[in-house]
Amino acid sequence: MPETPPARATACGTGCGTVINVERRLKRLLDLLDASHEDTINTSIRLPAPLRDAAALAAEMGLARSTTELTVRGLRDILEAFAQRAVLEAHYRAHPAARPTLAEVAQAAAEMDSNPLAGQPELIRRAADAVAGLKSDPDADDVLLYAAALAAAA
Amino acid sequence: MNTARTIVFDNEAVQAMADPAHPKHRRVMAAVQAAAGRNLRRAGSVSLVVPTTVQVEAGWDRRRPRGAALNRLRVTRPRLDGQTADEAAEVVSAVGVTPAHAHLAVTLKSTAPPHAVLTSDASDIRPVADHVGARVTVVTI
Repeated sequence: MPETPPARATACGTGCGTVINVERRLKRLLDLLDASHEDTINTSIRLPAPLRDAAALAAEMGLARSTTELTVRGLRDILEAFAQRAVLEAHYRAHPAARPTLAEVAQAAAEMDSNPLAGQPELIRRAADAVAGLKSDPDADDVLLYAAALAAAA
Repeated sequence: MNTARTIVFDNEAVQAMADPAHPKHRRVMAAVQAAAGRNLRRAGSVSLVVPTTVQVEAGWDRRRPRGAALNRLRVTRPRLDGQTADEAAEVVSAVGVTPAHAHLAVTLKSTAPPHAVLTSDASDIRPVADHVGARVTVVTI
């Protein structure tokens, strides 16, 4: 009598466990970013000496409260950016039709910036096609830069 | 031309962002994707903002599963406290807009420029932005 395959493999294939794992980690990341930051711990990190000195100087100049504040802010901002990207990717996995094309993203960026290129969607589409063949993981600003060059050359 | 630093979502933009079946969902997600791309290039450079009064008008209830993705997109939700309520009330009196748009106008004052506002009601946004002296790019969805 043949063995019954594991329920997970039957239900959603070999990639399902990976997706569930990614989703669980993403949820944990978001929970940590949303948690209260009143509890602090001492930690030791290695900073490049010039960066440490620049941070101290910025604090002396009144541009920041402390090196700690700058470090926390920088770390939080980059983690928020990673989380935002991960949330979007999870959303597109669940709703593939929701994923905008590179040209659509560039068009949206141009409109939000009052970029004159927003009035040339066909140029943006051509630029998006070209940039996608030139660069891995291009973003809206890559496309808009290329489109501006095309417009200038015309 | 200015690179938008704060993207403010009006009523229908919130509804479109929350609902993958909304006809404008993909268009709004393009704006979110553009912001996310810029944040990866330069962390913290673009904020997504929904004033809480707009949230109420749009019916975005964070406890319901329909807006699960929206809940997680790192959207800032400026609250309407005593002081901002006074400021918003003044906007309502002066311009004759809804409380949500008045709160949106107050939010323009308290968040980092340059602003882009995603709305299906551009005719309401321009006067409130002018009233509070905010230069905004109004993007009609």
